[in-house]
Amino acid sequence: MSELKTGTFSVSDLENVQINIGSIVGAIEKTAAEEGEVGPTVKPNISGLRDWDYKLLERYNPVYTPMCDQCCYCTFGTCDLTGNKEGACGINMEGHNAREFMLRVITGASAHSGHGRHLLHHLIDKYGADYPLKVGQTNIIAPNVQMVTGKKPETLGDLEGALSYVEEQLVQLLACVHVGQEGEAIDFESKAMHGGMLDHVGMEVSDIAQISCLEMPKADENAPLSEIGMGTIDSEKPVLLVIGHNVAGVTNIIDYMEDHDLTDKMELCGLCCTALDMTRYRTEGGDVPKAKVVGTLAKELKMIRSGVPDVIVVDEQCVRADVLREARELMMPVITTNDKIMYGLPDRSEDDIEDIIDDLKSGRDDGALILDFEKLGEVAPRLTQEMSKIRKEKGVVSLPTEEEFNELTSRCVHCLTCELECPTNLPISDAMTAAEEGDLRPFEILHDKCVACGRCEQACPKDIPVLNVIEKASQRVIREERGKVRVGRGQISDPEIREEGVNLVMGTTPGIIAMVGCSNYPDGTKDLYRIADEMLRRNYIVLMSGCSAMDLGMYQNDDGETLYEKYPAKFQKGNLINVGSCVSNSHITAATIKVAAIFAQRNITGNYEEIADYILNRVGAVGVAWGAYSQKASSIGTGCNRLGIPVILGPHGSKYRRALIGKPYEEDKWKVLDARNGETMDIPPAPEFLLTTAETIDEMMPMLAKNCIRPSDNNMGRMIKLTHYIELSEKYLGIMPDDWYKYVRNETDLPLARREEFLKKLEQEYGWDIDWNKKKIVSGPTSKLDVSAQPTNVERLCKEA
Amino acid sequence: MADVSKNLKVYTTYGPKSARGTKPAIVAKMIEKAKRPLFVVGSEVLEEKLLARAQAIAKKGIPVAATGHSIKGFIDEEGVDAKYINIHFLGSFLCDPKWAGLDDNGCYDLIILLGHKKYYINQVLSGLKNFSDLKTINIGKHYTQNATLSFGNVTPEVHLEALDELIDNL
Repeated sequence: MSELKTGTFSVSDLENVQINIGSIVGAIEKTAAEEGEVGPTVKPNISGLRDWDYKLLERYNPVYTPMCDQCCYCTFGTCDLTGNKEGACGINMEGHNAREFMLRVITGASAHSGHGRHLLHHLIDKYGADYPLKVGQTNIIAPNVQMVTGKKPETLGDLEGALSYVEEQLVQLLACVHVGQEGEAIDFESKAMHGGMLDHVGMEVSDIAQISCLEMPKADENAPLSEIGMGTIDSEKPVLLVIGHNVAGVTNIIDYMEDHDLTDKMELCGLCCTALDMTRYRTEGGDVPKAKVVGTLAKELKMIRSGVPDVIVVDEQCVRADVLREARELMMPVITTNDKIMYGLPDRSEDDIEDIIDDLKSGRDDGALILDFEKLGEVAPRLTQEMSKIRKEKGVVSLPTEEEFNELTSRCVHCLTCELECPTNLPISDAMTAAEEGDLRPFEILHDKCVACGRCEQACPKDIPVLNVIEKASQRVIREERGKVRVGRGQISDPEIREEGVNLVMGTTPGIIAMVGCSNYPDGTKDLYRIADEMLRRNYIVLMSGCSAMDLGMYQNDDGETLYEKYPAKFQKGNLINVGSCVSNSHITAATIKVAAIFAQRNITGNYEEIADYILNRVGAVGVAWGAYSQKASSIGTGCNRLGIPVILGPHGSKYRRALIGKPYEEDKWKVLDARNGETMDIPPAPEFLLTTAETIDEMMPMLAKNCIRPSDNNMGRMIKLTHYIELSEKYLGIMPDDWYKYVRNETDLPLARREEFLKKLEQEYGWDIDWNKKKIVSGPTSKLDVSAQPTNVERLCKEA
Repeated sequence: MADVSKNLKVYTTYGPKSARGTKPAIVAKMIEKAKRPLFVVGSEVLEEKLLARAQAIAKKGIPVAATGHSIKGFIDEEGVDAKYINIHFLGSFLCDPKWAGLDDNGCYDLIILLGHKKYYINQVLSGLKNFSDLKTINIGKHYTQNATLSFGNVTPEVHLEALDELIDNL
């Protein structure tokens, strides 16, 4: 019997033959080894990167802000852990909260990876395991996969091994949640980091599979623009609304509509990441998007309550649990297409298409579960056309009439219950008063700030449908909700990294601001526009994804341009890129990995710790999840954190209950080694956190600039970054920051235009010794400028170690 | 007298320990007794009427930790000792007995809070409640379960009246 070492083979026309394959892991490792250097952590298990996590956690301490002071995980409980008490099993509040955080992370990672598994099954069925992966101009097709698993995937089938690894590790992590397992917070933290890392592998698998097969843009800086906003939907046409994150089934709908000349005769629109991925489908090469984006999760209930959709199709993730109940009221049949969401509907996957359509349009059934995508592709558009006629004939309306609106606003007794129940404590009562007086503006403002959770309605003692009132009052602004979003381009290409990597590492491009995540904003959607515009004007590279990418496109400047139209989309300073949907977040971490691989020629294969160490010390990137609400956002962020990328959340992000914050006053924590000789180097507190929150974007602006500072910055880079930090602090807080001097290594780090002013401050306020003849700093700085230094936190990477 | 010690209804609960309701006169006494009080204000304090009260409290000699972008309301105010700090950082540092405070004079023993988003400050206070011995008083208009003491849920008018009473008692 011969041994097959690598490569592929096919077997056909066999009957009654059993083939057993023990394991192909060895073969994969051989492949990687033959292709080049392999690092020490191929497919790390839970403890594989524990040392690295401990290094991070020693500097960036977990800060727990529990949301529930009790533990009810087992029948010993309920246990009151208030004041860090121990429960019956021995776990204390710290440990329990670290466990809760880890659970949140692996829930998010499972959602992405489960999505990836569904997608991969579907695409392998359709295109075959040998279908080549094509993601654009790159020699590193899957940076996260390669770095973590040691495998360089080339085909769809190659992704199976990476996903199997992720799934196995997630099971091991979930096992740790069980009572009587891990007891120390720090090891739950390390496990959370592991889950975050796995998430980026799972996301990358998902996205590169769909990019390759579904003709999505491939690292294309000229990806087309798509329409976005409730105002772009033509309600005179039949309207099919899709909600969720998994575009697989929707592609069949798009194909059917094109094949039957329906594209211009009905509206296909979407909410959440399915919407973004619909616009990516078959737009490789710049083709026009075949669907419209309505918006984010925050628009879900608003869109349904508008009464505009005729049929709703849902797939998975971030879909409201009450879609069926809400749609039923408005005669909108709901089709579920994924076993993660089935709403108790009958499985019609095997049934005749005509029977399904008859049962739904007659109202015999509220909806159907259809797991056969070919069938879905035909049923959904045909049913939409039928339901449009039926619903128009029956005059189905949702929002109140003018008379009803007046009655509802006058029914309010201003008890403030809705405001105290509202997650953001919005001023609903005052808006009711104003509306009674004919002024709808306060409600129009609320429309943007309201995330349409519906809790106000559940709380109202007078049964006022508060959301309907808000939406009725806001019809004018809803009609004006018309924007543009750039279709997700996927990866950053190798040539782009080659060109820009040096600027990022030296600091002359001040940093990457990656705005990701969901729509649970503290003060409305326009904040995203303000953040992005400010940072783009300052030459930061701004990367967008998911719901943030959508909301950014909702606003125009005075010239009527969205930021996507105003700024180019190459990976270079002052450019604005939409990488794509939720799973496209992996391309953001991938870009930083590629900087290490391409610019610095570091081996990334199975070499996580060295690459994370490189990124932490040299790549000025900060993530912003201003409206993060989901478990997925916590896993995305934690994956960034393990890789050395700090993340700032909006104030709602405090409800994740755990931050990672450094203590700038603990000087011994801000030291690294110089890899040239193993000597200790002092560094400024940069970045000074891995995960924290900000209250307002005015507060966050200077935080962004400060936390793009890295020990490796050359003098020009540090000067640029420090200039932005000081300017943003002065602009948004009205003050000179009190820690600016910590980032000064010598006079060339000082903002050029204000050098003399700052030298005076250093002398007078901080006691530094200045040679005024040469205008040089003689003594004072704690960290030294040495452009050749190679900062590292990993002793084994030092030459003299 | 503004009765702000009632309506302690919680709309979602953190657990068995809840802030006790308090009154302006009691808050004033506690501030007087404290050795190292810290007045922590959030960005919502920038509303004109609230800012005037916050400045008046600060001028009674209580150092201010200005979180969010609230520092804008305290720049160049005579007799006010205000410094910017991120509230999440502050929450972390306050749990560390080694922290020397905003002015290097040591950690604090009483925290008074005003002008914060309710959901946000409740999270920060949850950390202090569980991992420090600090006494915390929220004098905002929403009852905040995770403080040691808190005003109840009150209307803006009653709230301003209560703050005036507090200022008079300091």
